[in-house]
Amino acid sequence: MKPRDRVLMALNHETPDRCPMQVSFTPEFAARLEKDMKLGGEEKIHNPHGGGNTYELERSLGQDLLLTSVGWANSYYQDAKEYVDEWGIGWRSAEYDTPFGTGRYTEMNIHPLAEDDAIESYQAPDPNRPELYNEAEWMLRTFKDEYWIVGVTVTTIFEAAWALRGYERMLTDFALKPELAERLLDIPYQYHLTAAKKLTQMGVDMIWIGDDVGAQNAMIISPKMWRRFLKPRMAHFIAELKSINPQVKVAYHSDGVVNPIIPDLIEIGLDVLNPIQPASMDPAKLKQEFGDKLCFWGSIDEQYTLPFGSATDVKNEVHTRLKTLGKNGGLIIGPTHHVQLDTPMENFWAMVNTVQQTPYSSL
Amino acid sequence: MEPILKEIHTNVMDGDVNAVKANVQAAIDAGIPVSEILNDGMIAAMAEVGHLFEEGECFVPEMLIAARAMQTGLALLKPHLKNAEVVSAGKVVVGTVKGDLHDIGKNLVAMMLEGAGFEIIDLGTDVPAEKFVEAVRNQGAQIVAMSALLTTTMPSIKNTIDALNAAGLRGQVKVMIGGAPVTQNYADQIGADGFAPDASRAVATAKELMSA
Repeated sequence: MKPRDRVLMALNHETPDRCPMQVSFTPEFAARLEKDMKLGGEEKIHNPHGGGNTYELERSLGQDLLLTSVGWANSYYQDAKEYVDEWGIGWRSAEYDTPFGTGRYTEMNIHPLAEDDAIESYQAPDPNRPELYNEAEWMLRTFKDEYWIVGVTVTTIFEAAWALRGYERMLTDFALKPELAERLLDIPYQYHLTAAKKLTQMGVDMIWIGDDVGAQNAMIISPKMWRRFLKPRMAHFIAELKSINPQVKVAYHSDGVVNPIIPDLIEIGLDVLNPIQPASMDPAKLKQEFGDKLCFWGSIDEQYTLPFGSATDVKNEVHTRLKTLGKNGGLIIGPTHHVQLDTPMENFWAMVNTVQQTPYSSL
Repeated sequence: MEPILKEIHTNVMDGDVNAVKANVQAAIDAGIPVSEILNDGMIAAMAEVGHLFEEGECFVPEMLIAARAMQTGLALLKPHLKNAEVVSAGKVVVGTVKGDLHDIGKNLVAMMLEGAGFEIIDLGTDVPAEKFVEAVRNQGAQIVAMSALLTTTMPSIKNTIDALNAAGLRGQVKVMIGGAPVTQNYADQIGADGFAPDASRAVATAKELMSA
């Protein structure tokens, strides 16, 4: 079965030969994996938000989705030294050590709209530059027959806005300066909407939007605040994409707990929810409550099972998910975040091999 | 309770910085004991914010604005605190451990602890073990509170505990930890004294550790 047909069946709530899979990695884990798989490692890293995916890696692993990204999330990992991205946001790196080597994360340290009046003269980058879409154009031409192509515009509204403003300042604005908050949110919203529309017109199968509004045990902002600031923008965003292509699917990423807003997400036309952190939301319960109206993507635990569990734990978790969250389709399985450098290779392969060697007919 | 203290309580909960400033100054001028302004007006308000947070009725933005209002009031009270009979709840050194640049969780814990009357030494993010050791040795911190958001940086928590041990300081401080992937199990496993799943419950944990 072609990967794209496998995904399409799953998203139509049908059971393909096996569950479709999508996996991303940090650049350091990707380098380890390339070595393990004896791949060239020459290809350009493309995955946003700190990911280290290459198309060679994704295809060699038998993944079913290929990603191409336009937007602020591509600002992660641009340099090991301090740098300022095209949005004027400053970045720095911190190193960490694991049993499998040293890695680094990039985080923001300069927020160009920290001062209230800076917004008056701020000029966002231009989302209409043709070169931003060269990779997507090549991807669609080369792989669309075979793979499910995802146009990624994550950090769509809230995350890029807080990167411009500063996290605590943005959260405080929601409570104290709502009008300023609206203007701040509109900057990345307009940019990513333009990009997502363009990618949809070009023919991607799915647009992936994202804004983390969930923490480990609760939402970061109240559902009420989310409904005021983010829901209307997301609703319009999804409607615009579906008006270009009614068949295009829309996936949304938020870490952590988002149960209280799932009915709202379904109401505004969301197709797929990612990444379903099992320590924050019970996947089986989500399937019971929302499984007929919503598909899921992710769900393999990155906070305990993959880094610290055994290969058997990983295998069991994959089986559990296939039987619950993936029952009758509706699931793209994969880790809840980029696979991290602290993950033992045998755990990684336990995940990939179990997915690939478990036909739906055997469950 | 004096009506103005009730007002301060409400102002802190609403995150109304200007009203806190005006009312705390008015309370000081009216000769209300500083300890009462602090405990009955501001600390009680932050405790209620924490309670609402645990109940899922208040979220991070509301907690942030309340904490800032509290800090504004505290700045006005500070010059008077030395002369007043106000006992600190304890001295806590807080930081996000080495390799980890995430600060919101750590900042919320620091704010809530300050809001409960603790003195805070905030070492920031990406804090090497030796910095925690120095703060305990030179500034007399009674609690070390460490945060990590990622599984890859969690081991830095254990490394810091090891460094406190190696420096011969472990016996004189309590260690509490938190962060998304951190659990009570992990705390037990690495020999931390306390764990809290969020900023509000970090206050309860710190209080328990101080009275242990």
